[in-house]
Amino acid sequence: MSIMQYNGGCLVGMKGKNCVAIASDRRFGVQALGLSTNFQRMFSVNNRLYYGLAGLGTDVQTLSEKFRMSVNMYNLKEERDIAPTTFASLVSSTLYERRFGPYFSEPVIVGLEKDDTPFICAMDLIGCINFAKDFVVTGTSSEQLYGMCEALWEPDLEPEDLFETISQAMLNAVDRDALSGWGAVVHVITPTQVITRTLKGRMD
Amino acid sequence: MAPQDWMEAEKQGAVSHAFSPYTDNGGTSLAIAGEDFCLVAADTRQSEGYSINSRYAPKAYKFSNGAVLATSGMHADGHTLAKRLEQRLEWYEHNHGKKMSVGAMAQMLSTILYQKRFFPYYTFNILGGLDEHGKGAIYTYDPVGSHEREGWRAAGSGGSLVQPFLDNQIGHKHQQSPQVPITLEKALKVAKDAFSGAAERDIYTGDMAELFIITKDGVHVEQYPLKRD
Repeated sequence: MSIMQYNGGCLVGMKGKNCVAIASDRRFGVQALGLSTNFQRMFSVNNRLYYGLAGLGTDVQTLSEKFRMSVNMYNLKEERDIAPTTFASLVSSTLYERRFGPYFSEPVIVGLEKDDTPFICAMDLIGCINFAKDFVVTGTSSEQLYGMCEALWEPDLEPEDLFETISQAMLNAVDRDALSGWGAVVHVITPTQVITRTLKGRMD
Repeated sequence: MAPQDWMEAEKQGAVSHAFSPYTDNGGTSLAIAGEDFCLVAADTRQSEGYSINSRYAPKAYKFSNGAVLATSGMHADGHTLAKRLEQRLEWYEHNHGKKMSVGAMAQMLSTILYQKRFFPYYTFNILGGLDEHGKGAIYTYDPVGSHEREGWRAAGSGGSLVQPFLDNQIGHKHQQSPQVPITLEKALKVAKDAFSGAAERDIYTGDMAELFIITKDGVHVEQYPLKRD
């Protein structure tokens, strides 16, 4: 039984036309026993940058608190918002710092750069960054998400279409994974606003 | 072995170098049952570890009764199983004076697999054909014969990538589309897109997909090239 499959859960991030989206499921469990249907694994850095953490639940929570502290310190010292690429490097260093006793968590980061260019990336548990051009997936249903995204995604989707695409990818993928599901949340980020929606899905 | 498994891999003491009779040759297969057709498909790449043994080693086999078996897992076991099945089909025809129905063949495959319960055929099978009413029928199996009739199924190394896509497009899951039965044209499009997607992300899937289209007029084979990387 792998440590990365102890609590379950998954994330997907996608690029669209001048927008990005990130979605997660809401399950938290201990192996076969499901415990929570509203576990938060996505967090906002600011209204243009969101990230999610899959893997061991305790590390998801600890890392999100560490990143909140690091970003707050950055904002105080730099007197400006952190850029997506900078935040990605911050996350990568924080994970690599624990190279020989890692946090069991794999992040997905989505956001808009200063000039509104969409940005997405994902990392492994020791901080290797994957700067993807299309979509990123992580979690216990990553293979299912890869299959759905590869089939459904196309470039330059408008925010409404990107929402539909990422939602279908998430809902159908988690239905084939026992450790993921129990609800889903999607954030769609555009230069003007962030729209958050909770999906209605199978609760088994 | 992924980095997250390195911690658990440390084992002290004796190291075993036993011969394993099994190997994984990779590859993806799928089948879709329609109202009056059945589509069975599998890619043709045969791999072992990070090597490619062959770019054209088909893993879907056509039988004399119009059924098609798609195998995945170990190629040798799949091939031998197909040989044995064809032998049993021949015996049946000689003994009963008629071709074996797909339903009977499905049950027989289950018993053949379970007979090797303690040294299984390392194959993940999908059997497809037309049932006695002319409707498409597919049966899916585990390596020791547990089976069930389904409407659609993907198996093999890319199975987990393809299955949710089939649930969505063939089963209309999480969609409010009118519940019309799937057409052959749509099934072919979905199958080809599924293989293209699997070939992108699964290293063991690629080179070519062979699609067997089973209708009352017989079995027609179509070849669909895939990425060779």
